[in-house]
Amino acid sequence: MPTFFLYGVTMHLPILGLKKGNLPSKISYRFSTDWREPTSIIGIFLTIVFAYLILAPILSLLYDAIQVQFGDQRRAGSPVGGLTSYYLNRTLFSPVSSDLFWEPLSHTLSISIGTILISLSVGCILAWLLGRTDLFGRRWFATALIVPYMLPSWTFALAWRTAFKNREVGGQMGWFEALGLTPPDWLAYGQFPITIILALHYTPFVILLFGNALRRLDSQLEESARILGASPQVVARKIILPLMLPSLMSATVLIFAKCLGEFGVSYVLGLPVDYDVLATSLYRSISSRQPGVAAVIAIAIMLLGMISLLIDARLVRESRKFVTIGGKGSMNRKNSLGKLQFPAYAFALIIFLISVGLPLLVLTMSTLMRVPGNFSLDNFTLDYWVGHNLEFVYVPSGILLTPDLWNATWNTVKIVGFASICSGLMGLLVGYVVVRSKVRPVSIFLRQVTFFPYLVPGIAFAAAYLTLFAVPRGPIPALYGTSVILILALMSDQMPFASRAGISAMMQLGKDPEEAAQVAGARWFRRMISIVIPIQKGSLVAGVLLPFISGIRGLSLFVILAVPGTDVLTTFSLRLLDYNYTQAANAVVLIISALAFFGTLSVQKLTRTNLADGLEG
Amino acid sequence: MPKISLKNVSKSYSKGGLKAVNDLNLEIADGDFMCLLGPSGCGKTTTLRMIAGLENLSSGELVIDDKVLDARNKGVFVPPEQREMGLVFQSYALWPHLTIEENTDFGLRLRKVTKVEREERVTKIMKILGIDSFRNRYPSQLSGGQQQRVALARMLVVSPKILLLDEPLSNLDARLRLEMRTELKRIHKEFGTTIVFVTHDQWEAMTLATRIAVMNNGKVQQVGSPDEIYGRPSNQFVAEFVGNPPINILDLSRKNDLLDFVETFLQRNEPYYRDVCYIGLRPETIRLTKNEADLLEEDLHAPVKIHSIMPTGGNWIIELKAGGVKLHATTNEPPGWEIDEPLFFHVEAALIQMFDDRSERIDQIENLEQ
Repeated sequence: MPTFFLYGVTMHLPILGLKKGNLPSKISYRFSTDWREPTSIIGIFLTIVFAYLILAPILSLLYDAIQVQFGDQRRAGSPVGGLTSYYLNRTLFSPVSSDLFWEPLSHTLSISIGTILISLSVGCILAWLLGRTDLFGRRWFATALIVPYMLPSWTFALAWRTAFKNREVGGQMGWFEALGLTPPDWLAYGQFPITIILALHYTPFVILLFGNALRRLDSQLEESARILGASPQVVARKIILPLMLPSLMSATVLIFAKCLGEFGVSYVLGLPVDYDVLATSLYRSISSRQPGVAAVIAIAIMLLGMISLLIDARLVRESRKFVTIGGKGSMNRKNSLGKLQFPAYAFALIIFLISVGLPLLVLTMSTLMRVPGNFSLDNFTLDYWVGHNLEFVYVPSGILLTPDLWNATWNTVKIVGFASICSGLMGLLVGYVVVRSKVRPVSIFLRQVTFFPYLVPGIAFAAAYLTLFAVPRGPIPALYGTSVILILALMSDQMPFASRAGISAMMQLGKDPEEAAQVAGARWFRRMISIVIPIQKGSLVAGVLLPFISGIRGLSLFVILAVPGTDVLTTFSLRLLDYNYTQAANAVVLIISALAFFGTLSVQKLTRTNLADGLEG
Repeated sequence: MPKISLKNVSKSYSKGGLKAVNDLNLEIADGDFMCLLGPSGCGKTTTLRMIAGLENLSSGELVIDDKVLDARNKGVFVPPEQREMGLVFQSYALWPHLTIEENTDFGLRLRKVTKVEREERVTKIMKILGIDSFRNRYPSQLSGGQQQRVALARMLVVSPKILLLDEPLSNLDARLRLEMRTELKRIHKEFGTTIVFVTHDQWEAMTLATRIAVMNNGKVQQVGSPDEIYGRPSNQFVAEFVGNPPINILDLSRKNDLLDFVETFLQRNEPYYRDVCYIGLRPETIRLTKNEADLLEEDLHAPVKIHSIMPTGGNWIIELKAGGVKLHATTNEPPGWEIDEPLFFHVEAALIQMFDDRSERIDQIENLEQ
């Protein structure tokens, strides 16, 4: 045990007759204080691990953007490995740059702006109705309207496609097409549906963020203004809006950052009309083997993501200025809706129906119907779930009888589960080191590096992983095509959440219980086993389960890194979609949705945590 | 026998940063009930944590029983788990996942005490502190006072020679506080432990300690018995910090009607009151009378008016106004005066506290000898 050894050294030094203030005594003092316990050793270990898992891929991505790739020697005018500005030029300034970068960028921006406008206006109204009024069925809506956020966003995209698909694309017809009404392209694909779907998906986000801020707003603030003679409009404009502004800005920036990395919806609805966003353009560049261009696009996504989240961090800091100590006097009185009760109720219900009810209904029905859009009873069948000898080549039997589904499920559980357990444990360790280590550079580095993936949209992060692990490097073999790369990438992607959970759990625990054990005579290892880990059991469980649930429905990371051998449920359903097996793809998405939904609910029950808690940055 | 000495101890949390403890020298004798008293942020808890080994010294030396426990320039640091002390935290820091019995048992297990002996010692200490009926409960099921007893039991069961207490009474209500104070005094007698106790509550310090070290800005201001601290404060800070209502300090550099009387008094007693810049009057030394004939020539006296009278139950705090200056007096006899009634106050010369231009104490006797 190193502790013991070092301690022995320190005890002997004075006997050796070392003089005051000389170097050896300084070093031995450091070893007997700051470095005495494994905390610092673990800190160093974690530092190396995360430098490799988080920083190295990003650096390798940066390097890929300026280094000549195999096959590009002639065009770049220098040998493989030489430095070049070819990829930058090609992506940003060449004739193809508009297809590769500028158009996807403008699409991404216009989708983001549309999404933000719609989800903010709908979300704020709903948050106010839920938090500040006597809306009928408030409690039920409070959960029901959050559901879209628990489901994968492209669930709705698939439902949309099932209903509105037109003859532009082969395979099964859409419902409206089957009924003889051909939906125009703008309705079926591209910007309009993508914006609508993303807006519906991120509305819960606004409800949660804005609702939390509203809940914290003391209604006595409003009442004081009312008593001084302000009309409700003036109160809204002069009191509520300024106080809510930071949370609105924050929601705006976060939605923008999420839209940047959004892959699934744009893939499902943009592809048929060549409507590319940055994420799909990145995906295309990777699948058409242009790693240099892919690197440039990934860096661009990363930079945009980082800038917007840094702005958000800034806004959150600003909003702290407004935190008033409400104390016990804090009140939250409900406004009576009166005559508006019915329209308000209808509005909430309609939003629920179009964001949850209808899409799930469409998807479910589509998996039960032989011919799309034919609602006669004999058209309904369970064959696509449990049937045999279907006409498909790839999945000849019902989806539940297809071994591929169970393989993908098992892969999902294995990969996501393993990554979540690792990140949960690492998160707690990081929390411990950050809070306890006396070696400050280590704790600062760990806190920041584990948070870093939060700034990088998943798809760019996956691209970075691809550049680092696609080829053997030193003792590490090429990992592409194995589940290891998926586990590592997912784990790093989950670290921001895990390390924050770990840090806050350790902060909450405080030093006292551990120090009490120390004074009572317990050494480091003993304190870990008998005090720290038993007390943190609950937060460890939450720290593993929550990332697990969100990992199940994750797509953008997997779509870059998974191969058919390491299919997870999300990539499996995407593959089915590519083969135009609508029913099977929809069935798999329904399975994912069910897993994510019931998983979230049971985790919330089990750990008494709230989805909203994890959202605030 | 444990004697704790801190020699030139300094502590700063960042290099060259603010010193939480600044060149502190303190000797704590065996069997002392030493109280570190001071306002929040004065470095008293840091000092306690350094004794426990939870913080290391930035410079200086910590020696207990001639054994160096912490000295940067000698390269020596003995970790807390090897110091065999007891420490009761302000938050109690009971382990929430262990029962009361397991909490109490923890230290003994680490010391590899046999099961029979463990049982015996745990039961004994629990009985002494009156918590043996809760042995199978968890900390969250106990009240603050009971938790406090468990925290104490947990540390006492291993019979530490030194017991450190970090504001252990601050989270208790008034009645429980009184009870625990008695308890602590009894424990100190019964176990003969050296106790170091941190508090910002002067009342607690006065009633419990055998010796008090008053601290401010990381430095010890005065060490002495409670009576010395109260009766002969070594500087203005100590005088003002100890005593409730606080001592009345008159700054002689100001000009007002009251100070004219004070000046007359001082001049009459030259040269004994040379160099005096501030004088302090303890509230209970201020006497009031309606009758000018009661005033003694050698006392300090001046006319005053009653500003307000506040009963505190058996005692009264009287706020006086004398020539634009507010003074607090206390009395335990029902005051029969009206608001704004003109009176005279007088203070016995020997009871006046005096301080020089650096706010240090001036002893009357020293001046007399000069």
